[in-house]
Amino acid sequence: MLVNTKDNAVMAEVSAGQVARLALLFERHHRALFRYFVSMHGDREQAEDLVQEVFVRMLRYRTSYDPAQSFTAWMYQIARNSAVDHVRKRGAVRVVDIDTFAERRAELVSASPGPEESASHGQNLALLRRAMDQLPEDKREILVLSRFQGMKHEDIAEVLGCEVGTVKVRIYRAIRALEQIYFALEKEKVS
Amino acid sequence: MKNLLVLSLGAVLLAPAALPQDAQKPQDAQKVTIPFRNPSQPKKLVVDTMRGSVTVRGYEGQEAIVETSSRNPGREPRRAAEVPAGMHRIGSSTAGVDITEDNNTVKVSGGFFGGPADLVIQVPVQTSVSVKTMTGSAVTIENISGEIEANNMNGQVNITNVSGSVVAHSMNGKVVVSLNSVMPDKAMSFSTMNGDVDVTLPADIKANVKMKTDHGDMFTDFDIKVDSTGQPPRVEDNRGRGGRYRVRFDRGTTGSINGGGPEIQFTTFNGNILIHKK
Amino acid sequence: MTCEQARLQMLGETEGQDLAAHMASCEACRNELSRIGAMWQSLDLLPLEEPAGQVRQRFYEMLGAYRQGLSSAEPRKTYRWWQLAAAAALLAIGLGIGYGMRGNGQVPAEVSQLREEVASMRQLVALSLMQQQSASERLRGVSWAYQAEPSDREVLEALLTAVNHDTNVNVRLAAVDALRRFSASPETRRAVVEALPSQTTPLVQVALIDLLVDFKEREAAGALKTLAANRDVNDGVRQQARWALEKLQ
Repeated sequence: MLVNTKDNAVMAEVSAGQVARLALLFERHHRALFRYFVSMHGDREQAEDLVQEVFVRMLRYRTSYDPAQSFTAWMYQIARNSAVDHVRKRGAVRVVDIDTFAERRAELVSASPGPEESASHGQNLALLRRAMDQLPEDKREILVLSRFQGMKHEDIAEVLGCEVGTVKVRIYRAIRALEQIYFALEKEKVS
Repeated sequence: MKNLLVLSLGAVLLAPAALPQDAQKPQDAQKVTIPFRNPSQPKKLVVDTMRGSVTVRGYEGQEAIVETSSRNPGREPRRAAEVPAGMHRIGSSTAGVDITEDNNTVKVSGGFFGGPADLVIQVPVQTSVSVKTMTGSAVTIENISGEIEANNMNGQVNITNVSGSVVAHSMNGKVVVSLNSVMPDKAMSFSTMNGDVDVTLPADIKANVKMKTDHGDMFTDFDIKVDSTGQPPRVEDNRGRGGRYRVRFDRGTTGSINGGGPEIQFTTFNGNILIHKK
Repeated sequence: MTCEQARLQMLGETEGQDLAAHMASCEACRNELSRIGAMWQSLDLLPLEEPAGQVRQRFYEMLGAYRQGLSSAEPRKTYRWWQLAAAAALLAIGLGIGYGMRGNGQVPAEVSQLREEVASMRQLVALSLMQQQSASERLRGVSWAYQAEPSDREVLEALLTAVNHDTNVNVRLAAVDALRRFSASPETRRAVVEALPSQTTPLVQVALIDLLVDFKEREAAGALKTLAANRDVNDGVRQQARWALEKLQ
């Protein structure tokens, strides 16, 4: 039973009618997808809804899947579209007060093990998380896709619909923006 | 002074491929640091050695640190072959341990030539670990949070102070496992042909258990609800005489703990099964 | 390499032979690297989020409904609310809220028509899990397989493949045990007898022998005799084979 289990081969099977095979892709990718949505919008419940939505759409649009295309890129395109539509339907992103959110994250973060720097280390990470959340969405997204999801630049280019060269520039700009926000927040704390 | 998490230039700040590996001089010929491609993503360590003991420890860093000590340093080194792209060689040629990093998985393999290589590997606490050794001595895994797999042909398997899920096997040797907490919904299995299976689990674990020993006994201080198809367990209460409270089960038994949950299997041929409540 | 180019290379994935050289000579870029590099690095330290159990259940329910919709030639059935609720409950029980459903659970007559649906869902979960990279997931897949219908050939195939080819001893062990579910089929019994000579891991050999005894499979006598006589085989296994031969008389 030698089956090619690469993502695009499996999706090609789903596309051809073996719908059940989607379960394999679900088991492989749903956690990463969840993390993507949470990193982008901060809302766990919404992230779960969106994960479901992605797989529903994968089924609905399965015949339009091109096996030559990177599965990851296709999946994240669907993910982004789902998020946009979700927001449109609900009127606005679920409003989570940025400070409450950052506090909750800080608790999460300081509870987990980290390098043995100063005791204020937990604070630094909370600050970092706040800085991430205050980034404009497109900058946050490119950092999430490249750093957290570990996507290749070609795939990111495909997802975002831009040139591969642009991806590098955007990553660089995003991290600089993050840095600036971080230091602004830090100054705020001190003053 | 900026209160940033400052890292020295010597450490790899960039994606690993950006700095050619040769530029990074190992501090000591027997010790190498390998970064994970993307530390914020799930990480994995895979160890596959022929001979020698393997110790894996979680530590507060972001990279994998591999130390090897060859037991036969005096042996004549084999001809230094060209190092294949993307790989390290560490230690003297007798140790012959190869390390690669691919897509967030660090693979350490070797001990195939020359004498046994004892490996001590440190990885971030949150790493999944898979260790396989043939005629090695003990496999020891400590302070890890993740999915753990261990397979030892001849020797003990000691997995302690871990959380997550464990699947462990030894052909000839004890399997001793102690879990601080378990991932929900994860199945586990512990097995050995010759030796005890000695497992400590969190007291509040929810699981279905399947226990089998052909020539030994099974003991536990958990309250295991045995399936009706099996024989009822025999209770031995020697506490009054300064002994222990033991519940002894029949050869092949299934049951549930705390209402049931994912399946945990305990299997041994010549040996006892001990399931401790943490 | 210009500073401009260097900065782009810093966070990239491309080979940077020139980058190292530039860094060595350019202090401005070194500082830049140090600052943004630290930021890049510290992003790693943010903890990973994990989804809750519901996500799985919802997916499988949806997939099942979709398949149902595909397979039924008739117009979409509309189930009564209690039928849906009962089916959902059955699924929930299977999918994680309560394990331990070995063999037939209590299925109310009214929902027996949906039982096929649930069975096919179980098959789906079992088969998907059994193809995962992690041994723990494959183990779960095998325990799901134990809940499949005894007539389910796909699951039986998958289990036999696992017994013969899975790289993890514990998964092979679990798969042997799960074959009990399929004891009624002569094909299973034959396959177990055939698996015996090719298995080299003693614990799995013992498990196969025990299974054959439980099956009361007299056809196994030949294979057992060979095993018992083979000096290359583990002593414990040979012993077990001899014991099995006696029991099967």
